[in-house]
Amino acid sequence: MTALFNIRMHHSLDAAQISEAAVHFAKLFKIEPEKAEQLLHKAPVVIRKGASEEMAGKIGTALQKLGITISLEPVADAAATAAAPAPVAAPEATPEAEQSAGHAVNDGGTVVSPPDHPGYPFRIEGRPDFSFLTVMVPGEQMLKVEASAMATMDTNVEMKTKMRGGLSRLLTGESIFINEFHARGGAGEVGVAPGAPGDMGHVYLDGNVIYLQNSAFVACGPKVEIETKWQGLTKGFFSGESLFLIRAVGQGDLWFNTYGAMIEIDVDGEYVVDTGNIVAFTEGLEYKVSKVGGYKSLFFSGEGFVCRFSGKGKVWIQTRGVQALLTWVHPFRPVKKRG
Amino acid sequence: MQAEIKGGSAFSYVEIDLEPGESVITESDAMSSMDARLELKAILNGGFWRALLRKFLGGETFFVSRFSNQTDSKARLTIVQPTPGEVKCEELNGGSLFLQPGAFLACEETVSLGLQWAGLVSWIAGEGLFRLVVSGQGKVWYGAYGALLTREIDGEFIVDSGHLVAYDPTIKLRLQLAAGLFSSFFGGEGLVTRVQGKGRVVIQTRSIGGLTSWVNPKLY
Repeated sequence: MTALFNIRMHHSLDAAQISEAAVHFAKLFKIEPEKAEQLLHKAPVVIRKGASEEMAGKIGTALQKLGITISLEPVADAAATAAAPAPVAAPEATPEAEQSAGHAVNDGGTVVSPPDHPGYPFRIEGRPDFSFLTVMVPGEQMLKVEASAMATMDTNVEMKTKMRGGLSRLLTGESIFINEFHARGGAGEVGVAPGAPGDMGHVYLDGNVIYLQNSAFVACGPKVEIETKWQGLTKGFFSGESLFLIRAVGQGDLWFNTYGAMIEIDVDGEYVVDTGNIVAFTEGLEYKVSKVGGYKSLFFSGEGFVCRFSGKGKVWIQTRGVQALLTWVHPFRPVKKRG
Repeated sequence: MQAEIKGGSAFSYVEIDLEPGESVITESDAMSSMDARLELKAILNGGFWRALLRKFLGGETFFVSRFSNQTDSKARLTIVQPTPGEVKCEELNGGSLFLQPGAFLACEETVSLGLQWAGLVSWIAGEGLFRLVVSGQGKVWYGAYGALLTREIDGEFIVDSGHLVAYDPTIKLRLQLAAGLFSSFFGGEGLVTRVQGKGRVVIQTRSIGGLTSWVNPKLY
């Protein structure tokens, strides 16, 4: 039987800070802001009885951000907890609140797969700056992950390296391998950290096709095929990222990452995206690379080439482009002269 | 002392309000702004030889800064870490915590910093030959590149090298290959750390290796 604790909160906030903290506090415990404020004024007060150490830790980290500290008072045994009078408030830390507790307050929030999600259960934490994907791979199932992107895993997960379709990947400087993570003898967790700082998107493929920009692939289910596709010379040459696109087709989850924040756009008709900001788009959208205006604006507006989508579908864009980053950083890099 | 971490997970900074008579120790160059009345003193990081050791083996700075409030009212200090990423605070209550080299940012004066031999395993895994032990009473701030996530471990768990930031003293590290020889080499995972025991592990959601392998193919 694990040790149980009563959680008592303490703080030295003034009235103004209390009303500010009460908003977050209320959200965290899913109670009315007025009630939270009253509770905060009563501190030090017991806010939860009979919590496990783990639960206490989660509540502790969440409250620490509001300037509230907690102390733990061991409970003798479960019977005592049951016999104890009802706590002042019985806040119920919801799963979402617990998971977002590990992050800064103003992050984009943790994405948790809904219970009726047809693919693998997953969650995306650390959004939107440094999103981190955790997938629970069911027993004897497999998850495909971009080479060297695995950050954590359970010990019953076995890794196998496979060649990924097409030697064209060699030309792009990226790995031509892909890792398969098999959960052996029960479910296993795999944590994936992409290279680029940014957000992460998820789609469930049901026979449809999604095109990804070359370095956007993060992970996918076993029945999703990942192929590298030649874009054609004009499209590829001017599209900023590389000459190749990734074509994902099949049935299952697909995760992709962006550099910067991510915006999802429903296209019906025509839409123009700067070539360096494309992350992914659905099949059925026609696209061509063209200049924005005349030749004068091509050279002087700084926009260069853009991608003109037409048709009906979805486009995911990123709010930063890697070329812009490189142009910005380049003058500061120590460069060794060749030859 | 009142402190608050702001700025989100990408560019965290810590606002510390020092009461009269209080002081705080930070890594050198961590201060980004402060009340003009605060006194700054650069001190050796625990004596000459220890400071040397900490600089070259612990990934810390030779000097640390001591900010003290000699006035009779509250004064504010803002500190930042050199890399983009999240900063976390740990309230020590007589316990201790292991930090990876370079993760330490600041602490209260009542916290003691120690350097401990982490073993060859840790060194081969790219986690450094030594690790920092913080113990005592009070707050410690630490950070790394990426967001920081806490994982409760009970048993065993695998963390890729370069992603470990801090862990409880109850956690042991072991080194192993990510998979067979072929996969470990070509799959880009190489060596991984197997953490064992019961306690918390703090991981960073990005690594400098991941950043360079994303950017490098695009440089020409």
